Amino acid sequence: MTVSKIFRYTFLAIINSLIVYAIPLTLTFESWFLLSLIIVIGILINLVYFSDRFLPMKWILPGMIFMISFVVFPALYNSYVSFTNWSTGHILTKTQAINILEDRVYTPENQKGIEFEIFVLQDSSLDFYYVANLDSNNILFGKAVSDDEIFTTSYANHEPSLFVNNEFVTPDGYYLLSGKEQIANSTTLQDLSLIIDESTRVQLYKISVFGASTGRLSSTSQLYTYDDLNDVMINNADNLSCPVVKDNFVCDGKEIEPGWRVFVGGENYRKLFSNQRIRGPLGVVTKWTFQFAFLSVLLCFVVGLFLSMILNKDGLKFKRIYRAIFILPYAIPAFVSVLVWKGLLNPDYGLINSWFGPLYEIFDIEPIKWLTTKESARSAVLLVNTWLGFPYMFLITTGALQSIPKELIEAAKVDGASGLQSFWRITFPLLMVSISPLLIGSFAYNFNNFTLIFLLTGGGPPIIGSDVAVGWTDILISFTYKLAISGGRGNLFGLASSVTIIIFFIVLVISAISFRYTKRLERIYGNI
Amino acid sequence: MSEYTYIYEREYMKTNKLRFIVILLMFSLVAVACGGDTADDAAEAPETTEAPQETLAAPATTAPPPEVIVVWAEEKVATALDPLVGAYEAAAGVDVEVVVYDFGAIRTDVQTAGPAGEGPDVFLGAHDWVGELAANGVVSPLDLGSVASDLYDVGVTAFSYGGEVYGFPYATEAIAMFYNADLVDSVPATWEEAKAACDTAGTELCVGTPSNDAYHNHPFVASAGGYVFASAGGFDASDVGLDNAGAIASAEYLDGLVKNGTVYSADYGGAMSNFQEGRALFWMTGPWARGDASAVNYGVGLIPQFDGNAATPFVGVRGAMVSSFSDKQVLAQSFILDFFATVEVQQAMYESDPRLPATKSLFAVVEAADPIAAVFAASASNGIPMPNIPEMGSVWGPMADALNVIREQAYGTNEETGVTISNATDAMKLAAEQVRNAIAGG
Repeated sequence: MTVSKIFRYTFLAIINSLIVYAIPLTLTFESWFLLSLIIVIGILINLVYFSDRFLPMKWILPGMIFMISFVVFPALYNSYVSFTNWSTGHILTKTQAINILEDRVYTPENQKGIEFEIFVLQDSSLDFYYVANLDSNNILFGKAVSDDEIFTTSYANHEPSLFVNNEFVTPDGYYLLSGKEQIANSTTLQDLSLIIDESTRVQLYKISVFGASTGRLSSTSQLYTYDDLNDVMINNADNLSCPVVKDNFVCDGKEIEPGWRVFVGGENYRKLFSNQRIRGPLGVVTKWTFQFAFLSVLLCFVVGLFLSMILNKDGLKFKRIYRAIFILPYAIPAFVSVLVWKGLLNPDYGLINSWFGPLYEIFDIEPIKWLTTKESARSAVLLVNTWLGFPYMFLITTGALQSIPKELIEAAKVDGASGLQSFWRITFPLLMVSISPLLIGSFAYNFNNFTLIFLLTGGGPPIIGSDVAVGWTDILISFTYKLAISGGRGNLFGLASSVTIIIFFIVLVISAISFRYTKRLERIYGNI
Repeated sequence: MSEYTYIYEREYMKTNKLRFIVILLMFSLVAVACGGDTADDAAEAPETTEAPQETLAAPATTAPPPEVIVVWAEEKVATALDPLVGAYEAAAGVDVEVVVYDFGAIRTDVQTAGPAGEGPDVFLGAHDWVGELAANGVVSPLDLGSVASDLYDVGVTAFSYGGEVYGFPYATEAIAMFYNADLVDSVPATWEEAKAACDTAGTELCVGTPSNDAYHNHPFVASAGGYVFASAGGFDASDVGLDNAGAIASAEYLDGLVKNGTVYSADYGGAMSNFQEGRALFWMTGPWARGDASAVNYGVGLIPQFDGNAATPFVGVRGAMVSSFSDKQVLAQSFILDFFATVEVQQAMYESDPRLPATKSLFAVVEAADPIAAVFAASASNGIPMPNIPEMGSVWGPMADALNVIREQAYGTNEETGVTISNATDAMKLAAEQVRNAIAGG
């Protein structure tokens, strides 16, 4: 009793301390959603485990937490992304984008590429001073100031006396910082500048530990200044006012990068259904996706069932060995076997065509150009997927067959049913009661079987003449990948998410219909 | 039921006491968990308060805790850097933390870790990421300064985007042509002569290179005036040159080469094994394949010319970049220019991972030691960098598809759209159209 109590409270103490530790972290990253999630989970855990009132919850809660964090949260996040413009050029928040833009400096055209030695000094009150050795007529010395003081400070003076015989002499009352010391103070120094005149300043750009550091000239004003009253970005180089257009600042018709993420409502969905470029191939791809998923399940199921029926015969010897062999394809990681198959199917040097070689000669037909024509690529995809998937079906049907009472079949035999009749009238329906949910699962899996398509054909061969690059074996998910991740202008995460949401609904509808059908089966056969 | 409540009541009294103890324990654990932070704060605090007192006497010793430069590098570069950073650390008084990272993962992780405040200060990457990284605002411009004079133009161009340079190039890469040195002395200057050489040598196949691959087939499109994007002063996504006169002429030329059996249809593995087994005389691929090619006695030459124009392969460049989310911009920049760009470091990296050098000083070292590397470098100097703008994502698919159609002679009519591709010209026109559509619709 006490041991379990101690165990429980220690566990709680650890969890709570982790939560308390995580709160400031989430605060610094400003991720309010995660913060609220952590707090809710924390309260739930304490409520459930401190009190003895919610006994059943103690068992359910861990599962719920995992479900929320690994299923519900990603799904919700995915649907949130599908309503945003999240894509290349728009991955930051507006604040981050403004900060990055405001950090940019510019060098006036006539001063580009000028490089010179710079010396960093410090006086007794720890202020930094720069000596910039532009040329013998411009040895500039002055206090290095931060951006706030640029327009209040005095300009740097020409101090030729600091160099004697081209050697730098540290003036009295100052301390010359070595490269190492400059580096130690680099986070401070990088924000300081020596002001030469109204429009030009000197900044440190390379600290050298082995020689003199280097400076460069740039404008006293940063390239962009954000005007938060009017929500415009001012381009100081060209004196332009750049208003916000959707998710970018636009200067003179030209978008400034980076932009930021915004909520775009149904824009991504509208694009999917209204853009001819996407809608055209979508029809072909959707049709094939259904065919592929349906045929994959069917073929795997037929092959798996056939084998398990054969191996379910009572008198058969070495049953276990046969079963082990048939499960083998299931034990090899799919991506390995897919790549092996790709090699086997190679039309010129692949094993399959060299085995078929004599057949081609006997019947005098052209060797099949596997993976390069529409029909051959589609059949190859189905062939490989059947090989990958039948062991699973074999496993589950073997289990289900063994659970069907033998008396039923014997009774049917007594009543004079043939083997075929007893299979179709008794074994098969009973099998479907327990198997059909798994078939639905398998359908949903194959509907999104990206690995197979991507590795085996990459979606190819190309559909000649379509508006976008799309192939005959592309299924919805691989088409999404081409469209959103490897096409267009960089990555279109928002668009990709919206396609996955649509796929989700398709799978949902199909599953709902199939489950209803399964229920009917259960009603009829469930009470046998 | 009643028994249960009885036990429950009895236990409840005990639990109360226990609960008190446990809550105490919990708070102590919380204190321990937070303790790490407070201890750190305590350690930092005295130093900052002491500092001014010390500096009055000698400002030199005002050393805050050493700055840490975090570098993300792939394994081979990291192993080369590791023994060398010590010297820089000592000289500069900083800690350099080289994190071994999967090369491809750097591209995505820089973009997620940076905005979250956890990214590197310096990271290594490929030049064709630059457009995406710059558009996303995660990489800072790098002023190469005097180091630029030691670099080949192709490397600097590769890292230029929107008028700024975003990285220090340290390695380049381009394809050339392997030949079987037992059967032929060199790679001929023209494709006709290459075909003749194969006929003389009597090999079953002639020139192998992957069919369905825009990278390897780029010379067949771009050597006679074709281009993916116009590249005067940064790549221009609005000017697609896949169907200009030069591109079409060289695609038709490729069609001829396929028809007369000079270039045979293959994937990467097929081209490799045919070359290794002596069935093909030539293999068009990059320096990474030298180990595989050494199955035969091989040599390397430039890709034959197109109508008197040197073949222009795609050039890939790798470089060091500064994250814009680093709060040590000057230091990160100094690290690259003052340490990473030195010949010693470049040479150590070359020894660990022999890619073609991007600096003239290292090339001088490598050229003498490895003439084959020099051939690859010469091939790269004729080439153009792969466009680094994000729009390049729309090119790979259509361009590979079009070249695949030509290479496989898979001309025909699409039953769904009714579009007919009857020759190489149609294929290139369609690819260009697809690219333009993808960019416009993206």
